[in-house]
Formats: sequence, structure tokens, C-alpha cells
Amino acid sequence: MTFGDILRTAWSNLTRRKVRTSLTSLGVTVGIFTIVVMLSLGVGVQRVIQQQFDAIGLENVVVQPRDAERNPYTRYVRPEREVVISPAKIAEWQQMDDIVSVTPIVDVNESISKRLVLPGDAAATIAVGVDPGIGINNPFETPPTALAGVLRPTKDGEIVISQRALRRLGLTAEVNNLIGQKVQLIMETPRGESQSFDYTLVGVSSVDNNLVALTPNDSIALKAWWFNEPDLLDKEGYDYALIRAKDLNVARQLTTQLRAERFRVQSVETVLELASKIFLVINIMLGSVGGLALFVATIGIMNTMIMAIYERTREIGTLKAIGASRGNIRTLFMTEAGLIGLFGGIVGLLGGWGVGRILNRVALAYLEREEVPIRGDFFYIPPWLIGLAIGFGLVVGIVAGLYPAARAARLDPIKALRHE
Amino acid sequence: MGQSTSLIRTTKLQRTYQMGKNTVQALAGVDLEIERGTFVALVGPSGSGKSTLLNVIGGLDRPSSGEVWVSDLELGQAPDKKLVSFRRDRVGFIFQSFNLLPTNQAWENVALPLMLAGRSRSERRQRAESLLEQVGLGDRADHRPAELSGGQQQRVAIARALANDPVLILADEPTGNLDSRTGRDVLLLLQRLVREQNVTLLMVTHDMNAASYADRIVHMRDGKIEQIETIERTAEAVA
Repeated sequence: MTFGDILRTAWSNLTRRKVRTSLTSLGVTVGIFTIVVMLSLGVGVQRVIQQQFDAIGLENVVVQPRDAERNPYTRYVRPEREVVISPAKIAEWQQMDDIVSVTPIVDVNESISKRLVLPGDAAATIAVGVDPGIGINNPFETPPTALAGVLRPTKDGEIVISQRALRRLGLTAEVNNLIGQKVQLIMETPRGESQSFDYTLVGVSSVDNNLVALTPNDSIALKAWWFNEPDLLDKEGYDYALIRAKDLNVARQLTTQLRAERFRVQSVETVLELASKIFLVINIMLGSVGGLALFVATIGIMNTMIMAIYERTREIGTLKAIGASRGNIRTLFMTEAGLIGLFGGIVGLLGGWGVGRILNRVALAYLEREEVPIRGDFFYIPPWLIGLAIGFGLVVGIVAGLYPAARAARLDPIKALRHE
Repeated sequence: MGQSTSLIRTTKLQRTYQMGKNTVQALAGVDLEIERGTFVALVGPSGSGKSTLLNVIGGLDRPSSGEVWVSDLELGQAPDKKLVSFRRDRVGFIFQSFNLLPTNQAWENVALPLMLAGRSRSERRQRAESLLEQVGLGDRADHRPAELSGGQQQRVAIARALANDPVLILADEPTGNLDSRTGRDVLLLLQRLVREQNVTLLMVTHDMNAASYADRIVHMRDGKIEQIETIERTAEAVA
């Protein structure tokens, strides 16, 4: 018997009991459907997160100085730094090969009291914070944009203020007309000392907070006055440096190198690796649910095949009498079982895909309503999942067919022919 | 083994079954020779061993002792694979209840042995159609068994038995499920095939009237051959 003949015969045998065949393969469909929906969700969400991280830039490396060991007597004093991100270090990193940019960042502590003052007739004052501007956006928030001018100051003496802070100051005019406005930042110590710093407004940001953005040097100047340490930059350096490498490999090398120099280094990749491990566990768990359904389906196919063999005993006897070998009979029944599994797999795959499309729309609609700026495919079916779904269906069918087919092949033709 | 004109030769053929604690001797030493091109009827009461003898000669059952030769093959000692190819390539079976595959069209049923032998579909179709023509069902090739009468179904089965160009056709009560008129047509068809195609036909029946169409009648009782009767036909009777 050729393979084509086997397939044709198996097909005509399956179609003679259409309802039974369909119901049997429905078991496989449920199993494969579950696996496809679950795994495509796992893969899809992982992919969306990966895309978010890609947008942040995996080639970014965040460097922090390391604090020296503290002893109990210096607990309330700001810690000494073991290594310092000095302007010289920044310059050194900028000189390295394959480095796109190095941005020093100064963190002006929230607890340092500072007020934004509008000089002149319409004088008004609000408390503000200084946005360190890490340069990495939170993927769950819409990234800030410049409503007027620039988003970050480029020269010392320049300031960017959030639209919200400007409103609170009473500046409600068209934001473009506010560029060039003079503002002051007043710092006050608890002891009552105060100092004023003058800036020119160069941009309005959409940040939804009372935040101002200054250059690193201006930020350092604020801190130096507050802590009364004029040589703060030399002593403590910057609080962070954001190094943008040419690609991921350079970022990896750089991470290793800077860690060896005792800097604290965070790369986005480290976080992503952890996320991947978590997703692997979740995927395995979700896949197991479908696996259980498939196990039940296997028993269903086995049952159907044993019934079919019982019904067709005479036929099997006839085929054997006119020259069918055990192998022919076995292959025929295995093919029938395999086809049941295969159809179940294909239908389950299509169903899983369809439901994934619908759920994805629901998810996107929800995110849109919540104004979370994440778009993407939460139910992504990679090519390997297509192969896995169909292959699994087929394998389930064939495995379920092993025992019934062997039983059919073993039938004694004389007894089978006498079977009523 | 010297090759004479005999196609089938059995010597001291025995077949015993274990039925619970009892041993049943279905064949108790059968010595039989059948020449090529003869129509032989095996008759006897039920339990006389005629069906067992047919199964052993057809390679469906193995003797407990003794030898059974069909042409140059000793079936008792032949490996399973040999028996499968013997049934597929050299024997045609006809059953009492036709045993056609219900999902297959008439021509597909006829071509079944050719499918098992791995012939191409177009070759099968061609051969099946010419065989259906021979048994007078040329216009029923695309019908399914359920759409055919009993006599027509048995004629499809006869065409199937001829498909592999067998040296030997084994028929187990071929007219048992047919009324006497259709039974007569089927017997005449079998008789004609033996004569025209020089095929050897061994038919089991308990109906003496059906047996009378054969050239020789082998009477069996208690697993033994009781008597062999040769029917002499005059030229007119044959015509």
C-alpha cells in the first residue's frame, strides 16, 4: 500500500463516522487551544516587554558611585564615596571607543528645600523639585515632551519648568511666549540662611509634577551651597552617569569593566534576563494545563479507535484474508488516529489564534482607556508555536493509536471473519 | 517435490483446536490432490472440517501436522510474510456474506488486492473496470455496496477475487446468502471462470445442488475425506 492509499483509506474511514470523529478530535482541539492561547500570551507579553526595554535601549548602562563602608558613628553623616564619578571620569569614558554619549546626572535630594520664584510685579512662589532626568523613560507612562523650547537645558543658567509648575506660578499665557522669562530658585536652610539662583526659562515640559530641570553643573551648585562644600564636585562627583554604548556587546563589556572598577552598574539587560526567567516558569506552568487536556484527549482517541476496531473486525479480517499484512493494518489505524490528532491540532491552533486576536483587542482597548502608552501583540504566535501545536496534535494521535493499531494488527483473520 | 499437474496436495493433514479442556480434531489426516483448472466442491455436515481445510489451503490457518502444498509452496512451514504475499498475490477469496468495504465504491472493492500490492490508482481502476465488465457489472463501477443487490455484491466480490490473477480461488458458501435464482447465476459465473481462465476453484458448501456445478465433489465427515465424486458432463450439458 502506498502512503497515498493509506491516507485516502484512513480519510474515508474517518468520514463515515463524522460526529464521532469530530467529537474525538475536539478533545485534542481543547488541549491544543489551551496551549496555544497560554503560550502565545506568555510569548506575546514577554515580547511587548522586550520591545519596551528595546525602546529604553539595552545599550544603556547606568553607573553609580559606590558608598564606602559605614561605621555606626557616621550613620547620620552623608557617606563617603569609595569611587567617584568625577568630570575627569566622564571625559575618560567619552574618549572610549564605541561609546555614543556619556551624560552626568546630579540628584538634588527631595528633602533640600527649594522654591521657585517669579520676580517682578506678579511675584509668586511655589516649592519645586529638581528632575534629575535619568534619560530612561518609564514604559508605563507617556514620556514627557517639550511643549515649548527644549526638554532639557543645554547651558548653565538655563531652566526647563513643567507646565503644571508654571500654572501654579500664575503664568497661564501661551507657553511659547514664556520662553526667555527670568526666574529664581531660592534655597533656604532650616537655620534661615537663604540664597537665590537666577535662571532663564528655555523650555516647558509636559511632566505632570512641580519639577524643574537644570544642567548638572547648576544642580551641583545647589547642592554645594546646601552642604556648604564648595568643592562638592571634586569630592563626591556626579550621582549617576548614563553611558550609551554603540551596541549591546559594548554595553556588556563596559558593565564588566566598570564593575571591576568598583562602580555600581545597572544595565537594562540584567533586568530583562530576570524577566525572561520568570516568564519561562510562567510559560511552563501555562503549557502544563494544556498538557493535561491533551492527556485526556489521548485517552479519548484511544477509546474511539478501540471502538472502531471492534466495529470493523470483519473488515480487518477481510483485508487480512485478501493479503493485507500486519504492517498495513497497523499503519492504517495509526494514520486514522494521527489524522484525528492532526485535525484537532489544526482547529485548536486556529481557535487559539482567533481568541488571541479578540483578547488582544480587548487588552489594547483597556490600555488605551487607562492611557498606558503600550501597544503591541499580547497574544503573539511565533512560527515555532505553529509547528508545536500541529506537531503535538499529530503526536498525540499517533501515540493514542499505538495500542489500538497493534491490537488490530494482531487479530486472527479467521476469528475476525466470523465476528458479527 | 515433483511437479505434476496437481496444484494442491495435502498429506496427512491434521488440525486440532483447543476448546477449553477439550481437544477438537477439525482435520484428522486429509490427503487430497487437486489438479489445476478444476472446480472442486467441498461438502459435508457442519463440523466436518471443510471450512478448516479451506482456511489451511488459503494460508489463513496452519496445520497442526502434515503438509499442504500449493504449487511449489509448503504453507505449513512458510513464514508469516510468505503467507501474506501468497494470499495477496496468488489466492482469491469469496465469502458467504460478500465482505465488501462499505465506504468503497464497487471498483475500489475490486481493486483492493491491487492496492495492497501497491499498484497505481489508474492501473487499478482500469483492471477493476474490465473485471466488473466480465462479471456483468460494467455499469456499476461507481456504486457503493449498499446500492447493489446481494447477487450484484457477490459478483463484485468475485471480481475482487480475480483481481490479482490468482491460481486458486477459495469460496466459502458463496451462495449461502443468496436466493436460489441468483445463487444459480453466481455458480454459473464461477463455472464459466474456471473453464475460460483455467483457474482452480475450491468451494465449500453444504448445498448439494450448488455442489453439482463442480467437476469434483469431495465429501467430508469428522475431519476426513469420505468420498470423492467426479461429475462427468456431456458436451451438451456443458454448453
